[in-house]
Amino acid sequence: MVRKNIATIMLAIGGVLTTAAFLMAFLWAPMTDFGFVNIGGAEIPKPDIAQKIFYFHVPVAEASFLVFFFVAMYGAIFLWKKDRVYDTKARIAAEVTFMFIILTMISGDLWTKASWDSWWIWEPRLTTYFIMTLLVVAYFVLRNSIEDEERRATYAAVFGIIAFLDAPLSFSITRWYRSIHPVVIGGSSGSWLYGPRLVTFIVAQIGMLMLGYAIYQLRMREEIAKERIEAVKAELEG
Amino acid sequence: MAAVKSLSGRQFRAILRKDIVMELRTFEMLTSMGLYTLLTMVVYFVAFASASDAAKTIQSVAGGLLWVAFVFTSMLGLNRSLVHEKDQGCIEALLLAPVDRPVIFFAKAAGNLIFLLIVEAISVPVFYFLFMQGVGFAGPFWMLPLSLVAASIGVAGVGTLLATMSVNTKGKDVLLAVMFIPVMYPLLLGAVSAASAAITGGPGATSEFWGAMGFIAGFDVIMLLAAYGLYEFIIGA
Repeated sequence: MVRKNIATIMLAIGGVLTTAAFLMAFLWAPMTDFGFVNIGGAEIPKPDIAQKIFYFHVPVAEASFLVFFFVAMYGAIFLWKKDRVYDTKARIAAEVTFMFIILTMISGDLWTKASWDSWWIWEPRLTTYFIMTLLVVAYFVLRNSIEDEERRATYAAVFGIIAFLDAPLSFSITRWYRSIHPVVIGGSSGSWLYGPRLVTFIVAQIGMLMLGYAIYQLRMREEIAKERIEAVKAELEG
Repeated sequence: MAAVKSLSGRQFRAILRKDIVMELRTFEMLTSMGLYTLLTMVVYFVAFASASDAAKTIQSVAGGLLWVAFVFTSMLGLNRSLVHEKDQGCIEALLLAPVDRPVIFFAKAAGNLIFLLIVEAISVPVFYFLFMQGVGFAGPFWMLPLSLVAASIGVAGVGTLLATMSVNTKGKDVLLAVMFIPVMYPLLLGAVSAASAAITGGPGATSEFWGAMGFIAGFDVIMLLAAYGLYEFIIGA
């Protein structure tokens, strides 16, 4: 009973934490600077309001990578144990990954436009992300084009593992390639992330992971109920 | 151990020979792949028709142009190679025979690699002849072939795995493209970078070339190991 309710509790706490992080980002965490503006001969730091999206964007991006790992992990466990439940788990994890990917893409794109004044830059993180989106889409297209359940589960598991291996390779090659053919990218991260900003970020990250876990568990529960109904239906008809 | 090794070696050669003999009888794959590459070059001519100083422009993107042709033609070949196996029931026979699954994988991948390399060996001179007379390849002669071979190993390896999956689905060749291109992205970027360094030359080309080759080698090793480990599940399903 307690285990059943964990998802609901996590959903509530995650909702509270992400909302709190949203408020903290605007009301508590100090503004960062983005370059300088020249006003009357004096160089004055330019406040970077767009940076506030960081507290939303980075947590969802990191959550998507983490959940993507579970797609590959459950795929591997399925190949090992041949238990259908791991296939369902991998599929639901892929759904949650896709949700986080869409959120990351939207928030990232807004930030890119605000900070780099362009809707799209072939920058390592963006490129890797784009490739990852295509891989997750391919994962679902693959699933939908196979009738046989056993085969669908196996192929999806194999493709999930290959896709997960591909992500770090994409990132490192793009970064290397960009260092040879440099593109101008403003802003650096890391040095300003301390104190209230760091706390806000951690709160947002924990909240987002809790939401991800809760959505995964609730979807999983729905899926198990669906399977049970199908089984009962088959029994009644047979 | 030696006996086992030579047995796998014989099985490997038998499957590879079957693919080559079948191809030599019909020339179906090589003709379609070669023709496809040639047609791509016609499209390139149209694409660059309005460029001023086309030879120089093409030289600066030649590595990319070559790889656009090779990626699509390799998908054509991979698809054909596995469709034959499936339509003629050959894959069932292979599975019934006491052959290790990895041996089937490596033999099919080697066959695909050979066909891809033949097409590349024909199309690079044709490309040179059609577009690059007067500007030429700036880098040392051995660079481009080396990069093509290294990258083609990865294309054939992962491609064979993905094509084995895609022939058993409803989408077939479309699905192969949907899976193949994103998975190939790191390899492609490395291959294009290496080919460009070989063709454009200039300062820093050698270090760029070897950097890219390092990535290609890394991709080849990681993905071939993964494909080797996972092929058994694919072909048995």
